[in-house]
Amino acid sequence: MTDFLIYLIEGALIGQVYALIAMGFVVIYRASKVFNFAQGELVVLGGYLVWWMVLGSGLPAWVGIPLAFALAALTGIVIERIFFSRLVGESLFSMVMVTVGLLVLLRGVFLVIWGAHVRPFPMIVPMRPLILGELFISRSLLIGGAVTVVAAVGLSWFFNRTTAGLRMTAVAEDHQIAMSLGISVKRSVAFAWMLGAVLSTVGAIVFLNGKSLSFLASDIGFAALPVAMLAGLESIGGLILAGLVVGIAQGMAAAYLDPLLGGGVSTVLPFVVMILILFFRPNGLFGWKLIERV
Amino acid sequence: MLELNNVEAIYSEVILVLKGISLHVPEGGCVALLGSNGAGKSTTLKCISGLIRPEDGAVTGGNITFLGKRIDALPAEAVVRRGLVHVMEGRKVLEHMTTQQNLMVGGHMHRDAARRRQNLERVYALMPPLANLRQRTAGYLSGGEQQMLVIGRALMAEPTMMLIDEPSLGLAPMLVEEIYAILAELRAHGLTLLLVEQNTRAALEIADHGYVMENGRIVMEGSAAQLKSNEDIREFYLGLDQSGERKSYRDIKHYKRRKRWLG
Repeated sequence: MTDFLIYLIEGALIGQVYALIAMGFVVIYRASKVFNFAQGELVVLGGYLVWWMVLGSGLPAWVGIPLAFALAALTGIVIERIFFSRLVGESLFSMVMVTVGLLVLLRGVFLVIWGAHVRPFPMIVPMRPLILGELFISRSLLIGGAVTVVAAVGLSWFFNRTTAGLRMTAVAEDHQIAMSLGISVKRSVAFAWMLGAVLSTVGAIVFLNGKSLSFLASDIGFAALPVAMLAGLESIGGLILAGLVVGIAQGMAAAYLDPLLGGGVSTVLPFVVMILILFFRPNGLFGWKLIERV
Repeated sequence: MLELNNVEAIYSEVILVLKGISLHVPEGGCVALLGSNGAGKSTTLKCISGLIRPEDGAVTGGNITFLGKRIDALPAEAVVRRGLVHVMEGRKVLEHMTTQQNLMVGGHMHRDAARRRQNLERVYALMPPLANLRQRTAGYLSGGEQQMLVIGRALMAEPTMMLIDEPSLGLAPMLVEEIYAILAELRAHGLTLLLVEQNTRAALEIADHGYVMENGRIVMEGSAAQLKSNEDIREFYLGLDQSGERKSYRDIKHYKRRKRWLG
């Protein structure tokens, strides 16, 4: 029973880490309608920036981390300036293709700047687990889960209630309509990438805390994709539930199926979930349904 | 208030769609831009509002002035800030957002929340059906409601002039009347209108001046009364014969007369 509880809680919390990473992705989608294939690279970028500011330069964490956030935001703006600002008005598909290019480019840039060797990632949250009776719960995952929930609720409110958020929602609906309403699509896209990069940095801190960092950490970007698909690409609040579903399913598979089937089921399972979603409910649980009028 | 002087526009750097359009809309006036499909009416509006650029088009000649200042080089969002809004053709609501969110987004440029609220109530007062649909998803509203919504959304920007493209498109005659009643009321409150329509009859009821476009050129202009009594307009756009009777479709096969203007 205790085992089951541990798997359940751990799965749920890891699901929230996925949800946090997926949030960076959804925010970009939600404010620009661009499907960002380079989400994993943004996480690696965040990871390296934190490593660079905290371990590389030896600054204390409370200075280094805000600096890393600022640098991530700056990179987001630079990405918009260089790649997206001249694509406004072109087909959305070309913007999406740019993110594929960005994936390759960023990976190359990381290798040039930071090299291929594995580096230790700073321990921002103490590794000592929280002990509740017989349960050992990782502190960083717990804090990560809390951050995810707070960020999801906050961003949901932002996109549905505030004027600035509604403006971006309008851009996600349709670039041309947004322009006709006097909304600057460029500014919205810039803000999307800024926010996406910062959220990815938060995600990197939670995900990589006390582990090691190399450019291969970008795999998490694809691992988080099923969560975004299940929630529906437009829904930020839905990420929490989707993260729970995917995380718990994965945790259970790791605990009970992997030993029977020789491992690997838990890694594949989220993607099986993703394919099933695409079959039966392509808009996810809370995404925007295609409105067709007859 | 709005002045177009010999405006030329092209799409994709080769297709010349406007071949020297000149028109004038006086302050507080209502001008109708008439013509058949593909005449360049919507493109004219897009040139004015700047929305031609994201469609890979450009104004290549002439100039457009609004309130005495050139606006043909401004991005679309700057034009809106000057008080000139464009209500696009085809009831372009933000489908997945609610009625209220659609309206609030229309007034996004005003920082003062109280002012936005006030504008919102004014829109609901002008179009009472919308007030009961505040929390509805805009994509599921009926055609007439959507048309009201896009007009209301444009009003949230507190414009002094509105470009409106085919507000009657695909609406039942009763709804067309309702929409035009709203436009008439807006006119009475001092809003300047430039109206693009294929429904010539409805447009000439509200407009005081009209231009007829064909093939990227203006081929005729005149006051609404003049246009209404013009033989060619009566025959080709209003479907009436000399005596003002509605023309029977039986006679149309004998149709030999040609338009008297050069298109």
